[in-house]
Amino acid sequence: MADTATQTAYEKLTEEFRKIQSDLSTYIEARQKLESQLQENKIVQKEFSILEDDSKIYKLTGPVLVPQDKSEAVINVDKRLEFIESEIKRIEGQINDTRAKTEKKRAELISFQAQLQEKARS
Amino acid sequence: MSNEQPKTVDLTTLSAQQLADVKSQLEQELEHLSQSFQKLRAAQAKFKECIGTVEKTFKGENKGKSILVPLTTSLYVPGVVEDVETVMVDVGTGYYIEKKPTDAIAFYENKVATLQKNLVDLEDIVNGKMGNLRMVEEVLRQKVMSSAPNVA
Repeated sequence: MADTATQTAYEKLTEEFRKIQSDLSTYIEARQKLESQLQENKIVQKEFSILEDDSKIYKLTGPVLVPQDKSEAVINVDKRLEFIESEIKRIEGQINDTRAKTEKKRAELISFQAQLQEKARS
Repeated sequence: MSNEQPKTVDLTTLSAQQLADVKSQLEQELEHLSQSFQKLRAAQAKFKECIGTVEKTFKGENKGKSILVPLTTSLYVPGVVEDVETVMVDVGTGYYIEKKPTDAIAFYENKVATLQKNLVDLEDIVNGKMGNLRMVEEVLRQKVMSSAPNVA
């Protein structure tokens, strides 16, 4: 029903749509990974907060456990949380952008399909 | 994370295609949730095992006793229980804390309780989703049957 030009245009459109969708799922995956890191760090932070000051804390670096001061460890975890939170904000922004793009492309696709049907009928 | 806002949409107003989409999305979510459920269960079992181990091993009467330490699942070396007063607990993100056995047990019990709460919450969500899925399937079946002669 459709000539080759419209056919390629349609294929291009679907290809773009698919690309945006795969971008979106990449971002969502990253967001999920960040979320689990956030939760894990929060748990550690909570654990530190109920710890006595003279508790021995070790940090696993490679195959070695290195003793670390509580104050240092707390600062470390706080910093990490800060970083993760800002990363989450960034990714969320990207997700929202990509969602908007998906919607736009979807609308384009739908109107294109409608045009095709219109043509087929006339 | 992917908790949808519970919008009220009359299912009967959706097209068969949309219903099928909703259905497959729900199925995906369910799949994901039940996997999470399994993982939580496994994690909980692990923590319970830790409690058991600490309770059994780190008590006064065991001091000085010999022990086989697993280096791999099939290779053991003999050792002696020197210190029954302190254990090392992995609290996550690469941090280990020295704790008294009683504190360690409290730590793990806390973990188990948290996971239990999560499991209960998750179960509610799974049941809710299952109900939604059944409803969507039902409406979809009716749709397909009533519109079978003239598919768009």
